[in-house]
Amino acid sequence: MCDQTFLVNVFGSCDKCFKQRALRPVFKKSQQLSYCSTCAEIGKLERERPKLPDVELHQVAERVEALGQFVMKTRRTLKGHGNKVLCMDWCKDKRRIVSSSQDGKVIVWDSFTTNKEHAVTMPCTWVMACAYAPSGCAIACGGLDNKCSVYPLTFDKNENMAAKKKSVAMHTNYLSACSFTNSDMQILTASGDGTCALWDVESGQLLQSFHGHGADVLCLDLAPSETGNTFVSGGCDKKAMVWDMRSGQCVQAFETHESDINSVRYYPSGDAFASGSDDATCRLYDLRADREVAIYSKESIIFGASSVDFSLSGRLLFAGYNDYTINVWDVLKGARVSILFGHENRVSTLRVSPDGTAFCSGSWDHTLRVWA
Amino acid sequence: MSGKVAIGSDIGQARRAVEQLRMEAGIDRVKVSKAAADLLQFCTEQAKSDLFLVGIPAATNPFKEKKPCAIL
Repeated sequence: MCDQTFLVNVFGSCDKCFKQRALRPVFKKSQQLSYCSTCAEIGKLERERPKLPDVELHQVAERVEALGQFVMKTRRTLKGHGNKVLCMDWCKDKRRIVSSSQDGKVIVWDSFTTNKEHAVTMPCTWVMACAYAPSGCAIACGGLDNKCSVYPLTFDKNENMAAKKKSVAMHTNYLSACSFTNSDMQILTASGDGTCALWDVESGQLLQSFHGHGADVLCLDLAPSETGNTFVSGGCDKKAMVWDMRSGQCVQAFETHESDINSVRYYPSGDAFASGSDDATCRLYDLRADREVAIYSKESIIFGASSVDFSLSGRLLFAGYNDYTINVWDVLKGARVSILFGHENRVSTLRVSPDGTAFCSGSWDHTLRVWA
Repeated sequence: MSGKVAIGSDIGQARRAVEQLRMEAGIDRVKVSKAAADLLQFCTEQAKSDLFLVGIPAATNPFKEKKPCAIL
């Protein structure tokens, strides 16, 4: 007697993607279809996610008081770059700013006095990324040279900053973003080669690499320290991906934008993050609900958002756009509270100061402005 | 032979994609009403320390112009 059971695998064309695969039966609206396992899992994901939006964020926020009028003006204009400003970062002392530009210059400013404290010329143009070390004693920058270099800052007038340069990261395409982790010892980088990587500054060794983006990675942001070892990255594949720094695994991915994601920033509590994209919208994604919970857009805004950052409480989202303006959004209600004019070209970078007193924007008009 | 290699990597890639999706589908999710309420709570708690909302007097704001001083 034959008492063996055999597993029958049907091979054929998947009803969704039409590829030749091993098929399994899937029931959709009481109709039986045959999907390959990839499409079945995507279908399962698409069915799980929509179970949870029982209510929208702005509905929950209806009972919150509306914000009053904001008066924000340019308080300082930092002039000195010879070409487009591409990136900037604040020092933890809430006063110093490092900025990098297309002409290869990286400048450290004192934002209170607008004095330039340090300047270094990189051997490449388009320095697209720069970051201040948490100790305030070093800066990291990189761009078309495919590397991230760390320069220790010294106040000794005789020292040549470029002489102490240390090359830390090596990618196979341009460096688009870099950030120190909680210490001066590790740097996280994002590159046009589609990967992110974690490096040890002292040895230049690659500690972890993060593969998963299907195109250039344009931005990254580390989770606020209390919430653990994750970071979010956004790229030209329209995806925002959240990574576990220890395992190198992608933990969550979000693909609702319609174009390249230029900037991602964590919400101050670490439970959500915002993204700004070339599709002229900014979106808020909640990590625990695993979905997009708000879109910040207006029909009159047709230019891409290049850079976003939150105020300290997370109530305000500042976004710099390619139409030379900065829009300030009420994160909870989804409405725009203010529009700031002043730059004479695209706003390329925007960061709120560590103590929340001001924010700084850098632009293709060669200047940086501090607003308060 | 090149045909075989192409199919091999296709399967490997597809397998990884399926595993990634399976893992993502399996994470514990929270209802938006709860997640949104938590975001709201964080906002209202931190609103007092958010200087853009509360505002600081021009005297303490290092960026606002101070009253002009006359040099005697």
